[in-house]
Amino acid sequence: MSIYIQKDTKVLIQGITGSEGSFWTKHMIDMGTNVVAGVTPGKAGQFVEGVEVYNSVKEAVAASGADASMLFVPPKFTKDAVLEALSAGIKKIVTVADGIPLHETVEIRRMAKENGAMVVGGNTSGVISPGEAMMGFFPYWIERVYKPGRIGVMTRSGSLTNEVTAMIVEAGYGVSTLIGVGGDPVPGTRFAEMLPLYEADPATDAVVIIGELGGTMEEEVAEAMKSGSFTKPCVAFLGGRTAPKGKRMGHAGAIVSGGKGSVEGKIKALEGAGGLVADRPRKVGALLHQLLD
Amino acid sequence: MKLFEYQAKEVFKMGGIAVPKSLLVENLEGLDTALDTIGLPCALKSQVLRGGRGKAGLIPLVKTLGKAVSEAERLLASEHNVQKILVEEMIKIDQELYLSVTIDAKKATALVIACSEGGIDIETLAKESPEKIIFEEVDILLGIQPYQCRNIAYKLSEDPAIIKQLSQMIYNLYQVFRSYDAELVEINPVFITKDGKVLAGDGKLSIDDNSMYRQKSYEMTRDYFDSDMAYEAALEGIPYIQFDGDISLMCAGAGLTTTVYDLINYAGGHVANYLEFGGPNYRKAEEAMRLCLKNESSVILVVTFGTIARADVMADGIVAAIKKLQPDRPIVTCIRGTNEIEATKTLKAAGLECLTDTEEAVARAVEIAKGGSK
Repeated sequence: MSIYIQKDTKVLIQGITGSEGSFWTKHMIDMGTNVVAGVTPGKAGQFVEGVEVYNSVKEAVAASGADASMLFVPPKFTKDAVLEALSAGIKKIVTVADGIPLHETVEIRRMAKENGAMVVGGNTSGVISPGEAMMGFFPYWIERVYKPGRIGVMTRSGSLTNEVTAMIVEAGYGVSTLIGVGGDPVPGTRFAEMLPLYEADPATDAVVIIGELGGTMEEEVAEAMKSGSFTKPCVAFLGGRTAPKGKRMGHAGAIVSGGKGSVEGKIKALEGAGGLVADRPRKVGALLHQLLD
Repeated sequence: MKLFEYQAKEVFKMGGIAVPKSLLVENLEGLDTALDTIGLPCALKSQVLRGGRGKAGLIPLVKTLGKAVSEAERLLASEHNVQKILVEEMIKIDQELYLSVTIDAKKATALVIACSEGGIDIETLAKESPEKIIFEEVDILLGIQPYQCRNIAYKLSEDPAIIKQLSQMIYNLYQVFRSYDAELVEINPVFITKDGKVLAGDGKLSIDDNSMYRQKSYEMTRDYFDSDMAYEAALEGIPYIQFDGDISLMCAGAGLTTTVYDLINYAGGHVANYLEFGGPNYRKAEEAMRLCLKNESSVILVVTFGTIARADVMADGIVAAIKKLQPDRPIVTCIRGTNEIEATKTLKAAGLECLTDTEEAVARAVEIAKGGSK
């Protein structure tokens, strides 16, 4: 078992005929993902890696029963693609696009909430349940990074995720499901909104959060732990501990403002709620052992 | 992209938000004409993007022609890279307010923030007296409604004529926020003048970088940046921050680069520059290395762990860049991710130090910077 995406999730790919879309469709299928249909307007009837392409999400869903959509769509067309998927009744949407206009990310999140859907991204590598399926792009073939296991991972980063996940594996663990919520200031889904899924997942023993300065997503996780709605062990690694105040470092969402969003404040909140915070990626493994052994 | 005050005020004016009378000057020759038009006394407002201009002495009030000239000379020659001065009329102020529009990421709404105390540091006030701040959420799909503007204005003033003007200002500011794809649009302070007018005393407009493709293009000039390198990096589209240490970072991924920055500080090292050589820039090894070499650093540290940003492509790029640029300082590499085995071969064949552990690579760079073996 895993969360968000499983072996039997029927995945549709929007933007399947593009170069990134077709390349990663092949990898998703190779890894075991159940890719059932593709969409590129004007390309109906084509096949990509054996997957039939449709003009619209509605047609694709009608023909394939797809219940999740993976978007390989440029940032300026992402809002349209998300709205199309929502209108076709899809509740799980992953968008990897880096560069979606800020106001459109707000509109996307707003519409996702209204439709009871979970949009993951943008500006993310996506979601992977190692050994089962993925929606996005991860170097799953590197065993020392993406090994199946019982640790849930949530992250705002890309390369840093590979770095930290490698440390989790080095410590003898593996990953149940990794969800990249993305580096945008307004991600479609926030860390704390993923917690109920991990809480309910019998295949997840603990959760690792890869966060950074800026925003309040880590504090919201601490609130969920404090209120008792999330009870599993939690380890965090947060980038930007030594970042000077007021500099925009890292992702666009990563800036300390309004006295909120400092790594210091996040550490205090998480530790106050019973979580452990690693000061460097290597420490994540040791802290997991501390909580789970 | 953050705009200068004079640009924000031009936008305000077009959007129906009143601003004090002003003229922009770029040199002393223009000053005379400006003073003729604006009159004395007036404010000489340095057009720089840093905050706290008043405290830094960058907005002198001048009463005489002589003083105006000497202060303008001082500003243009100052270390703050002042290229333009906004000569602005003196306003007789009755009250100052705060007004801004931004995004609430968690609730997925736009957010109007107002306060009956202006000219203050809103972040400090938010910490010390949060009850003084008015928040009004706006559904981004519906836009701001007139009743919302009125209700905010009622909390800011008791004078019906002022309330009417403030409501309109809030409404117009929200339209600016939306039509300019702003991250933040702020008027701090809003002036309520002695003769009952409502004016934007200052202007901040920060346009979302992801929306620049559909926004009026403001020419990127050197005065938007605090260093030559930051300016050049921006022209290349490479994320870059200037520091004053001796280790140049050429790393991939915003999160990983920030983490390497932390690890260097932990190890007692000092970063010369933060540079992201990943994402859409992973084929730009030469441009990235050229920027690093312009720093007076003693080592370049390359740390990557990419998926789409392929390790082999980055390694090839680095080797080619070294051939072309002939760097005068050592390069420590730690390149992992897609096709990492090929990458390692390439780097080793070129005689480069090629590590696989981030902390080890950081320790090595710090050792070199401290004068250890090269």
